[in-house]
Amino acid sequence: MIKANHQLDAKGFACPMPIVKTKKAITELEEGEVLEVLATDKGSKADLAAWASSVGHQYLGTVEDGDILYHYIRKGSNEPEVEKNFEHTVSLEEIESCNGLILDVREAAEYAFGHIDGAKSIPMGELESRLEELDKEEEIYVICRTGKRSDLAAQLLANNGFTKVYNVLPGMNEWNGNITKEV
Amino acid sequence: MSEKVAIIAANGGMFDAYKVFNIATAAAASDKEVQIFFTFEGLNLIHKQGMHNLEMPAGKEHFAEGFEKANVPSIPELVKMAQDLGVEFIACQMTMDVMGLTKEDFIDGIEVGGAVTFLDFAKDAAPTLTF
Repeated sequence: MIKANHQLDAKGFACPMPIVKTKKAITELEEGEVLEVLATDKGSKADLAAWASSVGHQYLGTVEDGDILYHYIRKGSNEPEVEKNFEHTVSLEEIESCNGLILDVREAAEYAFGHIDGAKSIPMGELESRLEELDKEEEIYVICRTGKRSDLAAQLLANNGFTKVYNVLPGMNEWNGNITKEV
Repeated sequence: MSEKVAIIAANGGMFDAYKVFNIATAAAASDKEVQIFFTFEGLNLIHKQGMHNLEMPAGKEHFAEGFEKANVPSIPELVKMAQDLGVEFIACQMTMDVMGLTKEDFIDGIEVGGAVTFLDFAKDAAPTLTF
């Protein structure tokens, strides 16, 4: 299954309980973490998507397995505009013709619901401990949803001796090309 | 976008109760400020005894089984949840006077007010709903 930070079991509950329980459960999460909500209420799919967008979380998607719906929500996606510090950047158009590695630093669940074909997934929080998976000789194009996490990831790579690193701007939220799903 | 939802509960049956409290809890869970004005038969929904014995519409009693099967929370549970989520309950003073009821006849945590109390809250609420 898709990796999440926390799980909420709302199976067997009717509307509005899945929403009420999700609201309570999400307070336990840190910003940027992913909550998996199990539900059997068929209306919960549309409800959770609408709820997330109205309160400022990011609805990632739903996987159906028999009667059970697995919903994925990332907490607090309305990230404030912050200054991006990493000076080497490329646009989404440019990476379509680039050779090299596209490194997707979003959470595993975000990646699962749609990523650029061939992109490698290492969530930002795991990057520092997984540097050996990357090749210092290869060009690395770091991407996330809005360019904020990838900015930090690019800095982290540069500080660890990677020289051919670029932050892809703005990010997957404006990507209109093909996407691959793992669900 | 308005951050307030104003609800008028003017009917006292079981179906009315679900319409009122489902919308109210869903709105509160979506970070809205919610106020419900209970008037006329609607007072039944927060009456200490009345809320435990809400009637199904005549001829619809067979839906009781459906409620159980769908695992729908009971009205007292929904009321408690609504209050935990910060939904404010206003009982209509005028109706209480007409029906000879006092604040003690109702569940804890309610306010008693007149039409203007509710209108003041509702003036910049969207949506305002009547059940």
